[in-house]
Amino acid sequence: MERGYWIRSKPVYTSLVWHEKATSHLVVAQGEGGMAVLKIFQQMHPKQPITVLYAHASASDVDYANTLKKVVPEGLQILASEQEVLDELKTILPTMRMGLRVYVAGSEGFIWAVSEAVKVFGVEDADMMKELTGTLARSIYCVHCKAITHNITTNIAKCAGCERMLFVRDHFSRRLGAYMGLMVDAESPGELPEIEEIYP
Amino acid sequence: MSTINVKIAAIKQVTPLIKHFTFVKEDGSEFPAFSGGSHVVVSLNIGGRVHRNPYSLMGSPTDTSAYHISVRKQEQSRGGSVFMHDYVAVGMSFKITYPVNLFSLAKKGHKHILIAGGIGITPFMSQIADLKRTGADFELHYAFRSPEHGAFAAQLAKVCGDKFHCYIDSEGDRLDLQALLGNQPLGTHMYVCGPGSMVVAVLETARNLGWPESHIHSEQFLAPPIGEPFKIQLEKSKIEIQVPAEMSMLEAIEAAGVGSRFSMSRRCMWAL
Repeated sequence: MERGYWIRSKPVYTSLVWHEKATSHLVVAQGEGGMAVLKIFQQMHPKQPITVLYAHASASDVDYANTLKKVVPEGLQILASEQEVLDELKTILPTMRMGLRVYVAGSEGFIWAVSEAVKVFGVEDADMMKELTGTLARSIYCVHCKAITHNITTNIAKCAGCERMLFVRDHFSRRLGAYMGLMVDAESPGELPEIEEIYP
Repeated sequence: MSTINVKIAAIKQVTPLIKHFTFVKEDGSEFPAFSGGSHVVVSLNIGGRVHRNPYSLMGSPTDTSAYHISVRKQEQSRGGSVFMHDYVAVGMSFKITYPVNLFSLAKKGHKHILIAGGIGITPFMSQIADLKRTGADFELHYAFRSPEHGAFAAQLAKVCGDKFHCYIDSEGDRLDLQALLGNQPLGTHMYVCGPGSMVVAVLETARNLGWPESHIHSEQFLAPPIGEPFKIQLEKSKIEIQVPAEMSMLEAIEAAGVGSRFSMSRRCMWAL
């Protein structure tokens, strides 16, 4: 990547920080994102109403459910999966009012799945604070066959749909939560640059 | 900048301080379509000095046969509003810019709260036409000094029905911003246009209630207040120019004839 140059569609993630002026808070996290939730409660316990939705991590991931139960003062719900979190959002968001601030922490795939879920209720991506935790692994959208391949940690990866070898770009789709992948050896079939793990 | 040649087709006194002007194109053709919240800049030649005043388009964006603006007579006028009120007559010709929109509706909004103070109602007139056409959820909150200053109140009440709320200062009505902005569903966008103090109060209330910036929209196109006269010196040409209280620095430079040497672009002049 050329120095000083960046792809504008590539999301920028930050650390979670409470919005001082919010009238209520909704924190959504999964797996490793539990640490980001513990960190934000280290800053302070805000006086406004709080809701925290936490999805257990997949088997290989660290799980913070027990610690969160001790730390989060109110409104904590531990859910079994990412899907249960998305379903719970559909239940609670219709009653929420302007002044609610949304914070999300977890893998990139989780962050953008939550973003899509809250967008339906008029909460825009720009209004949400996002912390990427655990892994830099990317979802890749194949521009040739339109399939999405998950958990890619290398600069070049095989498409799960068409088996083409794809070069992983920085161009990102917020709607799909995936980076662009395009055939790396179209001009000289079989000639591949070195495959390296750069998104561990 | 490309302009449109227009002439005044009708003038109507709407309130003691507000006049409504209808423009048609000089060549009789249709105007370009525009989006709710757009404005045009009208060039007014007042005693040899060109004023460029922005005015919101008030008609329905789908009506391209005429453009409509309303002008409030300002007590502390730089000359534009007084000229529009006292000298402009039916049949007179003007140059206006193509419509520009710096106050557009957020298309992704689920609900729209429009807050107008006095003449600040003007950009909402075209937005309401857009909101009605798309069937969007909205509320209009219109505050003004006294009954005779409520330009378009009756018309808006008819168009907006129960979405219309008006607050007449002289009758002791007050818009409770805290209550209004403190209880809106997620996905609501808020728009305010009016006098500076009102815009500031609304923005502050929304921010203190945790509204994200992307949901807060404001417009304030009242002419800047008259300042103090001062003197400038142009670095390269060493020309000294007196800037009168009611002129901008650029206007004073143009008036001094410097601009004519660099007439290609207003921005170029800063290179002097």
